[in-house]
Amino acid sequence: MKRRDFIKSSIALSILGKQIPLLAYNRPRHFQRRSTQWDSDRIVILIKLNGGNDGLNTIVPINNDIYYQKRSNLSINPSDTLLISEDSGFHPSMAPIMNLYQNDKMGIIHGVGYPDPNLSHFRSSDIWVTGSNSNEHWNTGWLGRLFQLEYPDFPDNAPEFPLAIQFNSANLLEFQMDGTNAGNMVFDPEVMYQIVTGNYIPSENDPPPETAGGSELSFIREVDMNTFEYSGVIYDSAVNGTTTVDYPNSDIATQLALTSKLISGGLNTPVYRLSQSGYDTHANQLEIHAELLSDVCEAVQAFITDMENQGLQDRVLVVTTSEFGRRVEDNYSNGTDHGTSGPMMVFGSQAHSGILGNQPRLDELDQNNNLLNQYDFRQLYSTLITDWFGLPQDVAETVFQSPFETIPFIRNPLSTIKPIPIASNFKVEPAFPNPFNPATQIRYHLPKKSSVRIRLLDSKGRELKTYLQGELQEGDHTFILDGNNLSSGLYFLQVESGGTALSQKVTLLK
Amino acid sequence: MTVKRITRRSLLGLDLNKSNKKINLNPEWPTPKVASIYKKYLQDQLPVYLPNPTSDNPPSIQIIPTIRSLPTVDWNEVTATHLLKRILPAPRYDEIQTISQQSLDDTLTQILENQPLPDPPGAWATEAPPEWDTLSEDDILALIETYNERMFSLMDWWIIRMTQTPVSITESMTLFWHDHFATSHSKVFYPQAMFEQNQVIREHGLGNFKTLLRKITFGPAMMIWLDTHGSKKWHPNENFGRELLELFTLGVDNYTQEDIEEASRAFTGYVTNGLLTNYDYNTQVGWGVWWEDWHDFDEKIFLGQTGNWTGDEIINIILEQEETAQFLCQKIYQWFVYESADEVIVNEMATIMRNNDYEIKPVLEFLFSSEHFYNVALRGAKIRNPLSVIQGTVRQFDLADATYPDLFFIQTHHFLGMLPLQPPDVSGWPGYRTWINSISLPIRKLLTTSFIDGNSPLGQLNDSIDMIAFAISMYNPDENQFASVQMVQKCSLLLFGVPLSEAMEADLLSVLLDGAEPYDWYIDAPENNGQWDRFRDMLRFMMKKPEFQLS
Repeated sequence: MKRRDFIKSSIALSILGKQIPLLAYNRPRHFQRRSTQWDSDRIVILIKLNGGNDGLNTIVPINNDIYYQKRSNLSINPSDTLLISEDSGFHPSMAPIMNLYQNDKMGIIHGVGYPDPNLSHFRSSDIWVTGSNSNEHWNTGWLGRLFQLEYPDFPDNAPEFPLAIQFNSANLLEFQMDGTNAGNMVFDPEVMYQIVTGNYIPSENDPPPETAGGSELSFIREVDMNTFEYSGVIYDSAVNGTTTVDYPNSDIATQLALTSKLISGGLNTPVYRLSQSGYDTHANQLEIHAELLSDVCEAVQAFITDMENQGLQDRVLVVTTSEFGRRVEDNYSNGTDHGTSGPMMVFGSQAHSGILGNQPRLDELDQNNNLLNQYDFRQLYSTLITDWFGLPQDVAETVFQSPFETIPFIRNPLSTIKPIPIASNFKVEPAFPNPFNPATQIRYHLPKKSSVRIRLLDSKGRELKTYLQGELQEGDHTFILDGNNLSSGLYFLQVESGGTALSQKVTLLK
Repeated sequence: MTVKRITRRSLLGLDLNKSNKKINLNPEWPTPKVASIYKKYLQDQLPVYLPNPTSDNPPSIQIIPTIRSLPTVDWNEVTATHLLKRILPAPRYDEIQTISQQSLDDTLTQILENQPLPDPPGAWATEAPPEWDTLSEDDILALIETYNERMFSLMDWWIIRMTQTPVSITESMTLFWHDHFATSHSKVFYPQAMFEQNQVIREHGLGNFKTLLRKITFGPAMMIWLDTHGSKKWHPNENFGRELLELFTLGVDNYTQEDIEEASRAFTGYVTNGLLTNYDYNTQVGWGVWWEDWHDFDEKIFLGQTGNWTGDEIINIILEQEETAQFLCQKIYQWFVYESADEVIVNEMATIMRNNDYEIKPVLEFLFSSEHFYNVALRGAKIRNPLSVIQGTVRQFDLADATYPDLFFIQTHHFLGMLPLQPPDVSGWPGYRTWINSISLPIRKLLTTSFIDGNSPLGQLNDSIDMIAFAISMYNPDENQFASVQMVQKCSLLLFGVPLSEAMEADLLSVLLDGAEPYDWYIDAPENNGQWDRFRDMLRFMMKKPEFQLS
């Protein structure tokens, strides 16, 4: 729907000074399909551990003497940690997510950062949300650019759900497009709906002046209009949605509970950005950090359980981020100062379980005595674009203006063209014909003799069927998908060999 | 004064998320026991909605920069309104008339004149802190409660000054420096320290930046806020050193991590008890046993200069750097003019600042008399901050003396994200477009329109806008225009940032006249005439329009 049309149809409702019960007007109920290339129903929930999370006290390097020497006041005894591998233990406050880890619903990616790190909160946060290099100042967000590729006319021809929802924080730079913003700040949907609709007057046939004042006016008009449009959609989802567990009483849990309600209520928003504040632990770290980790782990645990209870677990992925980690050596105030890279955590039934990367080396530090990175955060984000949302690799490349190798932290990647991390000659070619009816074929190349499994996934990444191909010779092979028993729609064909899975997107049109 | 605790639900009846920013309190401040009780106390406190920093880049200005002064012929009601909107929360019509009838020079003298320092909000402002060790846990908790009430009364004291200010830049400048040296009350703990900082800003905010920077740096509030207090030479705390360079003077990228570390060594040995410090402004050194034991007297290399620098000497070196005036003038420009700073104008401001040895007034005089400042392209280019929107409306409609529900303004600004003494973090309020989002915009409309009938979601006001007095204040019988047309044009001048468009003028007239003819609406209509309801409708309509959010 074009936004202008929408506004015209509702113009009669905004008689000034009167609260009109806007439920009276017709909002289509089943419009929430994603369009364009973005066919997946998958949702990512990004949680910012705001202030710079101390990775060393999160995933504790229990065998590292340097850690225990340099953290004389702040280290965590090996026996107090929750052991997850030979050299690592969780902070004791992370007990609530231990069962997620043990049941293969959690992954850890060590050493996520970027080259030439900046130690200012503000700069480093901006680098993370814009996706720039550390010596560049970009003024659009990585998600803003991603959405703009998919919805180039935004806010015209925008989907009828918000592209991104952020709780609490008004800094929407991550969703900033060129000249407009795709982010929506949300809290109580019902109250907001009433306030918004009672106070909206559209601006018709009154173009803003072409001045600096005019450009600010356009900005506010746009927020005004989007708020009006989306408040109804969000309200509906919140009312229709439900939660199935008791969420703990913390800010981050409240945000996750509302996220659950909106997803459960049918809101198809692909990105949620949540945040938990307080990680800037310059002083008195032990107590503060323990409390923060405990809050976020309890909340995530509740959320994942809630999603499972509602059968939504395969659609959601929870990912933590933080603008930087902290200094190896503790400071005099029983805290730690700003550092560089840190571990990111991924939760959900679609999270590839286990540990990627290694415990950071404490004997090899940068010139400011900080940790070196192992992964670039843009690798993490590129992986979300390709493997999680199933968008082509060149989309991720355009967003970050250079290619970033993906990180295998997603169990069933949806990527259509994927760089090949292990078997470099293993290739899967695009399906032909595509769209198809009733059958289509894909060709794949094996670099050596190996066993092959082909899986058929639906648009949500759920596995529908597995076709075991057995042990095949080196060389080209063909697989034919018979669509006779399938209904129209988008599918992914995933060819797995030698531990690598490559996918192709196919559409059945009947 | 009894202070009701703001609970989650009492705020607009909303089920707010508790988003208390956890402040990293000094675990030993003022004593470990007090710190632990205080921490628990803070956890039960009100929720905060805080806008975060942004680097949302504004479009650049499409005007040819000129450092020429505004020609006398261009000083009129429109330019006077523009100036007053940028230096006051919002002007009244009679103020605009008075100002436009005197010269720009006289106006600048008037608005830049130092105002007398206000009386403190209570005798507690200079009260010595107690001997904490002699107090019981209950006494400590009671005193913490008292301190919290005093912080609230200090906030109220300040907010109310904004509505009562004469035509002067003082309140806006005080807020500017508070935003620049952003210090938050919950970590500082002592209300007397926050009051002292506010008085320093009032006294020196239009004076000399060197003096201001020194007095802020070595004031109790800043020493506690950024951990200079108690920083020791064998392990200096980097917090103040970093923000001094990044946020208070040079700006990011003009120094290295080593400079931060070296500066931090110089800011050791300074201590405070919340009211007094061990630093002597006259001799510019510290004294006493902590100074002797904790201050790092050794050689430091800072910004390429080697010496046994004290904190004061570090400040001297910073003030020698060209970038300092540049950085400050850019922020001044952004505060009063537009987010996207014009390089030519800022360079000129910085030159003036350096030539005048960091005196602030000459910079403002230049800016406010420049042709650039009044350029029509910049009208409406400032997004009003919450204090301007709310206190401006109160001021503009003469509601300063109304009785408001308990904590009305504190709750309002808490909710809209700009509670004085409670900036989101040390970088201050991010401002600009972060003020406007899908939550704050509808609530701004809701709260401002509620002044029209006095029925606010935060409680009933005992007064509401006096429509007739307001209309009469704007009406001029000598103007060759219908009263209705005058109302539309003058209300737009007062309430809208951008010039009135033809389409908007037609819309406003149709709301005001509601089918009648322009001549049917007359200024001396009796109070019970329905035309005053239409006038009320028009004001409500205007407050709901995006144009109202601009100045």
